[in-house]
Amino acid sequence: MEHRLHDLTPDEPIRLLTSRAMAAHLGRRAFLGGALLSAGGGLLAACGGSSSGGVSTSASATSTIGTGPVEGNLNIYTWSEYSNPDDLKSFTTDKGPKIKLDSYASNEEMIAKLVAAKGTSGYDIVVPTGEFIPQMAANGLLQELNHAALPNMANVDPQFLDQPWDKGNKYSVVKDWGTTGFVYDKTKIKRELTNWADFLDAAQNEASGRTAVLDAPGDITGIFFWANDIDWNTTKKDDLDAAEDYLVKKLAPHIKAFDSYPSTAMAQGEYTLAQAWNGDARQGILNSKDPSIWQWVLGAPKTELWMDTWAIPVGAKNVNAAYAWINYVLDPKISLSELTYIGYNTGLKDIEATAKSQDVELPDLIFFDSAQVSTMVPGEVTEAQQRIVDIWNKLKATAGK
Amino acid sequence: MNHRRRPDLLDLALRVWGVLCFAFLFLPILFIVIYSFNVGRLMVAWDHFGLDSYRIAVQDQAIRSAIGVSVRAAIGASAVATVLGTLAGVALARRGGRWVPLFVGLLGLTLVTPEIVDAVSLLPWFVWLGADAHVSIFNHGLVRLIVGHSLFASSVVTFIVRARVAGLEESLEEAAADLYAVPWRRFVDITLPLMMPAVLAGALMAFTLSLDNTIISAFVQVSGSTPWPVYVLSALRSALRPQIAAVSTLMLLLTLVALGLVALVLRRSGESSTQIAEAIAGV
Amino acid sequence: MTTQTAAAADRAVEAQDIRVRRLPSFTLAIPAWAWLLGFFLAPVSLVLWYSFGRKPGLFGTHTNDELSFDRYREALEPAYLPTFINTLRIGVVGTVICLAIGLPFAYWLAVKVPPRWRGLLLGLVLVPYWTNFLVRTLGWEIILSPQGWVSTTLMDLGLRDSPLSVLYTRGAVQLGVVYNYLPLMILPIYVAFERIDPALREASRDLGASRWHTFTRISLPLAGPGVAAGLLLVFIPLMGDYVTATVLGGAKGNMAGQLVASEFQTAQNWALGSAMAVLLIIFIGVTVAFFAILWKSLSAVSRARRGVIVIDTRGGTP
Repeated sequence: MEHRLHDLTPDEPIRLLTSRAMAAHLGRRAFLGGALLSAGGGLLAACGGSSSGGVSTSASATSTIGTGPVEGNLNIYTWSEYSNPDDLKSFTTDKGPKIKLDSYASNEEMIAKLVAAKGTSGYDIVVPTGEFIPQMAANGLLQELNHAALPNMANVDPQFLDQPWDKGNKYSVVKDWGTTGFVYDKTKIKRELTNWADFLDAAQNEASGRTAVLDAPGDITGIFFWANDIDWNTTKKDDLDAAEDYLVKKLAPHIKAFDSYPSTAMAQGEYTLAQAWNGDARQGILNSKDPSIWQWVLGAPKTELWMDTWAIPVGAKNVNAAYAWINYVLDPKISLSELTYIGYNTGLKDIEATAKSQDVELPDLIFFDSAQVSTMVPGEVTEAQQRIVDIWNKLKATAGK
Repeated sequence: MNHRRRPDLLDLALRVWGVLCFAFLFLPILFIVIYSFNVGRLMVAWDHFGLDSYRIAVQDQAIRSAIGVSVRAAIGASAVATVLGTLAGVALARRGGRWVPLFVGLLGLTLVTPEIVDAVSLLPWFVWLGADAHVSIFNHGLVRLIVGHSLFASSVVTFIVRARVAGLEESLEEAAADLYAVPWRRFVDITLPLMMPAVLAGALMAFTLSLDNTIISAFVQVSGSTPWPVYVLSALRSALRPQIAAVSTLMLLLTLVALGLVALVLRRSGESSTQIAEAIAGV
Repeated sequence: MTTQTAAAADRAVEAQDIRVRRLPSFTLAIPAWAWLLGFFLAPVSLVLWYSFGRKPGLFGTHTNDELSFDRYREALEPAYLPTFINTLRIGVVGTVICLAIGLPFAYWLAVKVPPRWRGLLLGLVLVPYWTNFLVRTLGWEIILSPQGWVSTTLMDLGLRDSPLSVLYTRGAVQLGVVYNYLPLMILPIYVAFERIDPALREASRDLGASRWHTFTRISLPLAGPGVAAGLLLVFIPLMGDYVTATVLGGAKGNMAGQLVASEFQTAQNWALGSAMAVLLIIFIGVTVAFFAILWKSLSAVSRARRGVIVIDTRGGTP
């Protein structure tokens, strides 16, 4: 048989056997298209992604940082339900940047994320609790603030500036301050609970299996220390051993959840007893179907005084937008709006008087008199921090048995 | 002769079991769909019926962004996994060799390693590559997601394609060879169309796996490129709103449409439902 | 002259063939190799490396200046060991329940349902599988919520006098994992049963075997590989589960996956987290090996007792 070579040129596809010849052409296109896609996708991603350089952290070049034109986006890493959505919207309308929020349940989690990311986390603002700032700064996680770009700092009540853990407000400015206590369901716990010892007792009795504690190491060990008149910033091994012993053996089996924001579950009736920060407790009570079943108790005889702050992490890309937001929130009008939503004292001058004159709901969960404030002790990050985190992990593991 | 018995007690019991299983499988989905019509502050607490959550979901910028990131990452991951997996599947099926057990072992390892281990290992790796080794492309959120999602998916696609290609008779390709088709043409005109159902099934699997991927995404994502499951995970921390159920219902519809399309294509090319199931189960 | 041209053509094609065939057989697999090597093997080996290190102070994540097995010892301490045991318990129980539910269902679908409906019903099984994992789990949160419809209905009907408190218990996690991984059990078993030639079952019946005997001696052994695949496909991911335990578990549903995650995410102790991750993998591997050996010995024993060798239609022994 004769084979004519030119009849069998490579350009002519072999139409063989099946109608899938059509599929052959489709297949080739799809295959090549796929290969191009993955290559092109990679290229596109590379082009679109990289921004212009890192951000300088040296103090000498701060004079113009934050004063430039605001960027289009702002990524905030903060606590949950910690900003009034209306304020977020009005900021975008007034100044431009679109805000994205991510949340964490404890400072340890936020720090772990920043340390792991080494500046690539993508966050422009973080909200650390004051006592963690010295270590964060020492480990190169935070940028120094340019006060020239924050004119509204003048509105802050001076007693909330210049804190011992951030002298001169080099890295942070106050967002709000608050305290720790607990709420309980009066219909389920018939007696009156007034202090941390009552909390521990009720947790092991009436509220066994329906108790929530904060998902933050220091606050949990704090319950033991405050109830037993021990300085909750202690570094003594005996104290820590006693705390671990009691919490892991006596409290852990009765815990239903480690929840830093019990307000949501409260509204669903999940807990009978919950340790909570005052603002979150307030939100939980206000959002319940029947607010009157809940009783808030300020931690006694001693409890925590914490102050949350705005700070800008190293590696932030939208620095001008970050400054714009912080300045925006330090405006008295916006600050009041924040306060009414989150239920924490924002620390601006005269904010308490203004809020009360506007009939803010449940003011005694927001504002505290000097007698109460004297029972609140600020926290410190000591060398016992690692031990406290270990106790917390053991607690979680034991509670899960 | 027809050997069928009259349905008896055992058959009835099995049928009841089947119906119960279907009810079990669909129960949570039904509740999600129903609660997507909940107008209230919390998703789990029914307030009253309405379409508000859909409206809010569509308008919410964070939700739109999360979906957008998820879809883009899924397309990218699917493309990468399909290309890698198809090539590898063909190599495994057609070309044997001493390397095969090793390679299959590596693929198997990918499938067997818990996702949490992948997640906690990828983040330091990406950070090292991006920050210390200055390969800055790995600081980009979408790139991280695509790479992270493509690992498991590549292995799945490889096995699917291998199973399919191994089942193809070589006689077609040999016939093409006899007719002087060069290897490249043989591959493109014969092998590729014949294994197209498997490739499509693999691509769909990779797409779905990427959309669904939660743990790796939660660890490696860069703020600003937050995919949908991570958005839901962080909403879990604070408050679950009905919008989430609304978006989930919409995505379910989308997935159903995609599933239907692929089934249609596979049916057209002559696959039986069993073969489709085989392809999808990767068995 | 034509024969010469034809021969030349043959040689040309052959030459091209040889050239391509001289490429090592694994060429096509190289991209996948490289990808997996670079983005899977390398980082996971890094985790293995970290597990021998330690945590250097408060803000350090890891250091490998002193290598030791201390982290493994720490991970197996009485504080953490219960979590691994709990994970194993949920894993084994969950897999067994999936098998108990999935096997009859797959059998029904593959054998009893008329062929024209099988495709549709199979698709229906896949629909939940295609829904987002997290969302499926959230569906259970709605169902089990104390203020949910189920809870209020049960109370209205008088079957309970207090709200449902299943949520945030180990039971909820068990239910959640069974639900999430059930389709992975059903699919391979369905495929295995469907592949069995109905003629085999008919032959068995014709030879007088009861339906139970037909099932246990013919269908089940032939579906063996499918059942094995299902068991693996469910057990392995279940052991590493993180999402279900987080959503439905609260404090009670602590699983190893969450432990590993928290060591990395909160405690910043990469060395300990890595050790826990490696331990988890070892746990999974050992359990699978244990049951594989158990199965092999059991079937060898039973086969010896029966004195019968079952041969499938392809001529192989299952």
